[in-house]
Amino acid sequence: MFASDFSLPTMLHARVLKSPYPHARVKSIDVSGVEELGATVVTFEETPRVRYCPRLVSVPSATYKDWLVLTGKPKYVGEPIAAVAAETEELAQRALESIRVEYERLEAAFDAEDSMGMKDPIHEEIELEDEVLRVEKNIGCTLEITEGDVEEGFREADFVIERTYRTNRRYHNQLETKTAVVRPEPDGGVTIWSTTQTIHNSRLLIHDIFGIPVGKIRVVKVALGGSFGSSIHVNPPVPIAVALALKSRRPVRLSYTREEDHHDHCSYQMVFKLRLGAKEDGTLTAGHLDTVLDIGAHQIQAYPLLGCVVGWWVSLYKLPAKSYVGKAVYTNKVPSCAFRGYGNPQITWAVETLMDELAEKLGIDPLDFRLKNYIGEGDLFWGQGPTVKSIIQSCGVEEILQRGAEMIDWYNRPKPEGQTGRYRRGIGMGRGYHTSSAGAPVPSSIVDFGGAFLKLNEDGTLDYVTALMDHGCGTLEAHAKIIAEELCVPLENVNVISADTGTTVYDVCTHASRGVYSGGGAALKVAKQVEEKIREYAARMLDAYPHALKIYCDEERGQGVVTAEGIEDRSVTYEEIATTARHKNWGMIASVDSYRQPSCPPHFTGYFVEVEVDTWTGKVRLERVIAGADIGTVINPDLAAGQIHGGLAMGWSMTTLEDTRYDPLDGDLMNRGFINNYKIPSTQDLLDLDDLTVFFADTYEPTGPFGAKGIGEGALNPVAGTVANAIQNALGIRFYELPITPIRILQALEEKEG
Amino acid sequence: MNIEVTVNGRRKRFDVEPNTLLLNLLRDGLYLKGAKYGCGIGECGACTVHLDGEAVLSCMILAVEADGRRVDTIEGLADGDELDPIQEAFIEEGAIQCGFCTPGFIMAAKALLNENPYPSEGEIREYLKGNMCRCTGYVNIVKAVQSAAQKARE
Amino acid sequence: MDINRFNTHIVPIRFDYHAPKSLEEAVGLLAEYGEEAQILAGGTDLIPKIKQRILEPKHVIDLKAIPELACIEETPDGAKIGALTKLRTIELSPLINKKLPVLGEAARAIGSVQIRNRGTIGGNLCNASPCADTATALMVLDAVALVDSVEGKREVPIGEFFDGRGQTIVAPNEMLKELIVPLLPEGTGSAFVKVGWTTFDIATVNVAVALRLDDEKVADCRIALGACSPAPFRVRRAEEALKGKELTGEALEEAAQIVSEHIEPRERWRRAPPEYRRKTSKVLALEALTGAAEEARRLAK
Repeated sequence: MFASDFSLPTMLHARVLKSPYPHARVKSIDVSGVEELGATVVTFEETPRVRYCPRLVSVPSATYKDWLVLTGKPKYVGEPIAAVAAETEELAQRALESIRVEYERLEAAFDAEDSMGMKDPIHEEIELEDEVLRVEKNIGCTLEITEGDVEEGFREADFVIERTYRTNRRYHNQLETKTAVVRPEPDGGVTIWSTTQTIHNSRLLIHDIFGIPVGKIRVVKVALGGSFGSSIHVNPPVPIAVALALKSRRPVRLSYTREEDHHDHCSYQMVFKLRLGAKEDGTLTAGHLDTVLDIGAHQIQAYPLLGCVVGWWVSLYKLPAKSYVGKAVYTNKVPSCAFRGYGNPQITWAVETLMDELAEKLGIDPLDFRLKNYIGEGDLFWGQGPTVKSIIQSCGVEEILQRGAEMIDWYNRPKPEGQTGRYRRGIGMGRGYHTSSAGAPVPSSIVDFGGAFLKLNEDGTLDYVTALMDHGCGTLEAHAKIIAEELCVPLENVNVISADTGTTVYDVCTHASRGVYSGGGAALKVAKQVEEKIREYAARMLDAYPHALKIYCDEERGQGVVTAEGIEDRSVTYEEIATTARHKNWGMIASVDSYRQPSCPPHFTGYFVEVEVDTWTGKVRLERVIAGADIGTVINPDLAAGQIHGGLAMGWSMTTLEDTRYDPLDGDLMNRGFINNYKIPSTQDLLDLDDLTVFFADTYEPTGPFGAKGIGEGALNPVAGTVANAIQNALGIRFYELPITPIRILQALEEKEG
Repeated sequence: MNIEVTVNGRRKRFDVEPNTLLLNLLRDGLYLKGAKYGCGIGECGACTVHLDGEAVLSCMILAVEADGRRVDTIEGLADGDELDPIQEAFIEEGAIQCGFCTPGFIMAAKALLNENPYPSEGEIREYLKGNMCRCTGYVNIVKAVQSAAQKARE
Repeated sequence: MDINRFNTHIVPIRFDYHAPKSLEEAVGLLAEYGEEAQILAGGTDLIPKIKQRILEPKHVIDLKAIPELACIEETPDGAKIGALTKLRTIELSPLINKKLPVLGEAARAIGSVQIRNRGTIGGNLCNASPCADTATALMVLDAVALVDSVEGKREVPIGEFFDGRGQTIVAPNEMLKELIVPLLPEGTGSAFVKVGWTTFDIATVNVAVALRLDDEKVADCRIALGACSPAPFRVRRAEEALKGKELTGEALEEAAQIVSEHIEPRERWRRAPPEYRRKTSKVLALEALTGAAEEARRLAK
């Protein structure tokens, strides 16, 4: 059941009053119409004036706060100013339309350059921990990092290329729109069912904003209809619905329409100035990256992103010297939040495009150029920016690239110069990776740990409870498999129980591809602790030494069995142990604990893509895709492959289709939020089953549960670069702006060929 | 207005306003939450149900238009504990990730197999192009429909 | 367009719902409510428009209970297609696929199966979108629209059905009853092509062609272009350029070029710049002409 399916008796339906202007000040607001209709209303004048950041994944010193629950100074079209709740949605809609607002319009900016020159700042002050910071030139935060002598590095290089890359501003288009159902409790607390990737952070944020004691806030885990990073932060419907529920003393449901959801969040839009230098022999010597993030009207996680972008960049290929300058700039647009890969798809696109160009200059095959420079086993890797570093312990990049190259006949691929016809084919490659969680041996600026609870039931089955969300990637199934494997029980014996903040210990969030790696790690830890208890009790029953006992799975009886090996009649099933423990009052066979991964090993992916470009219409078709992934031990092959399938579709869409554009006349999204004008591929737009091959490298990650790593984001990251390189192979044209649409392709072909 | 609709084989009477949508009648009136709101304008297919045996988008149909007609939703597919072969195939082939688009896809696929028991991959893709999925890239969904069609032949 | 008035969860306005059982009843209601009424056929255009507050009718007249409005019949004048005939019915109709295939192809290109199970040809036309796929096909078929009201029936050739300003010539007290579509003469080849950003999209450009050969020379040629001007239209200059000519590559190329020179997109159309439509319309015209010519040649044998 999804949050948007959830229903409670006496529940009210809520609607949000959204700013029609990109930047304005509310001069007056008249809600008398709402009260006449018998509905409840909250405005920015009565919601808490607590400034917050809706994402609690980073430590406070890295968390910039510039949000209010409702605002009297809206900074983008669609920003919530007030909200109503009524018996029916129709009544709520009428109540909404009865609100009269007078606005004073302010200057607005829709790109980072313009914004930095604006007279009216978007935010005058924001907060960091207890400090109030003044914002200059609409720059929300900055980061600069230098390692090694970059000047020297470029001097050493025989070839230096610098290019500017502009990404698109995508919309997650997760199928379930953002929703919160909130029930006020008699004790002054609230119970919340919402679209979230983290029930504990949701609870903490509501506590921070409303002051309700943490224990009186219960956030219940429900199924999540897709997210891709859009619910790492607590979505606006949650605090708004809490405000309405507290005021009306009735349960309140606030579920965004698709057009509201489209105005609620989007990906980070980036401009990169990337410079790489290499010696004749193909060794990279230095790199410089200048990043400007266009983050929209609020920070959700811009500062951590600045760190992550440089981290992703320097962990792709060995750069002896590197320098980075990054800034996040406010604009009067929908706020940006993490979107699968969190900067990695964007920077990987730029790097993979530049690497191909550099390889061409050097006269080295692009694939060989990658193999010469990639960061792999034994190398230092920045898992989530400069504060999360570890040494890579497992790496399948060579296997992926070499096998893929063979399958697609890489060295016999087309040459762009040779092609003149209407239809031109090209083969491109790209590689990438993503972390598995943000673990590390020391604390960093990112909170990353989770916990789990496991108990053995009286019949030998197990109950497993974790706060970690599964948004359909098969994460919890993987945990169950890990537990079943460790405790030698049939998979069906492990029950994944529903959870809420009261019955679970803290888990930071399902993101950063940490579901299996970290979450599974926690599952494994408690499984081992439960095993200790099982041994102890079995030893009592068998009069044996706990450490000497052997455990195995008896498929026929459907039980885990503990035995003193070789000795007759000295074995007991889990059911017998648990039953005995109960009858003899020995106590529970259970464990609850937290776990932090001491590293965040990268999972690696590589794509080889063949495209066909119709040079008359500019349309690009996928002809063949070979995708290889190194995810350590593959716990769930079907679902892991499913991540690749989804990542491919999303990456293809990122490269060729998606963008949200703004109308300069009124500052609103050009499509007004309606997704008939935001296309993603249909079943007919992607390639046939036979043309897609997915394979997994044979690797084992020593720090992962049973050797496993993540896959969710690595599945997406290299796709844009790969497709762009394939298009270049077909046409001999490189594109420095996404998306690469038919319009742009035709324009470029005209410029090139007339 | 008084209407009578046969939902999943059971005749039901309702008193609805003309502007009530069929989708909301099913979800709020009958608590059949399988059909989903995904976009409200016919772009995503998450609200797909059968009206007189045809796959349609319930977010664009007024409840009054279903008067005297038969509506079938995902909840009516399984026979007690026994899942429809399409449902089973979706589970087995890993065609369900977040699950939000699943009821819509299954109802569309059911309509496809009712009309064309032996669809080619191209026919499957064409028939389902009005259903949107952001998680799976459609690969396992197509496989699931093929598998269900195969099973029906056996 | 006020952002706070959109609500795609529900139909956010109230209206009176009428379900007339006869044509007489229907036109009577239209006479009475006229400007305040909207016709409900499949609902796939009307309901989203109400949700987006583009239309706010006080009366909704549902024509689906009038049996004679949904039909496909062969008559001496051609195919009679009722306005309420579903696009899916047209797509699958043996008569259409045999005698008017270009219309079947156009219907099939619209939306998805779910949309075509409700959407009607009358709705597709009366929605008056410049990209209406069936409109482009009907243009090359020289279809005639039969418009009905209490004042009686009138026939409107499809070329005059759209007023060039985003509306049809159907007055508020009128309704489209049916289309009379002359069957294509023996040996006519036809084709419909459409391109959007994805395969589930409205047209950025669509083209329909019907072409008949007489001894390797073009005896009759009809070319219609859609989504490139306020309404689809016949590109007569291109047709004249081909009439009587031999079907060479150059001739087809020349005709396609003429088609591309006749685009008239509105300034405020932001889907694609005029240059893109110019290039693409030429390509599609060439494809449609080539496809129709091949079929014509095949039928001539």
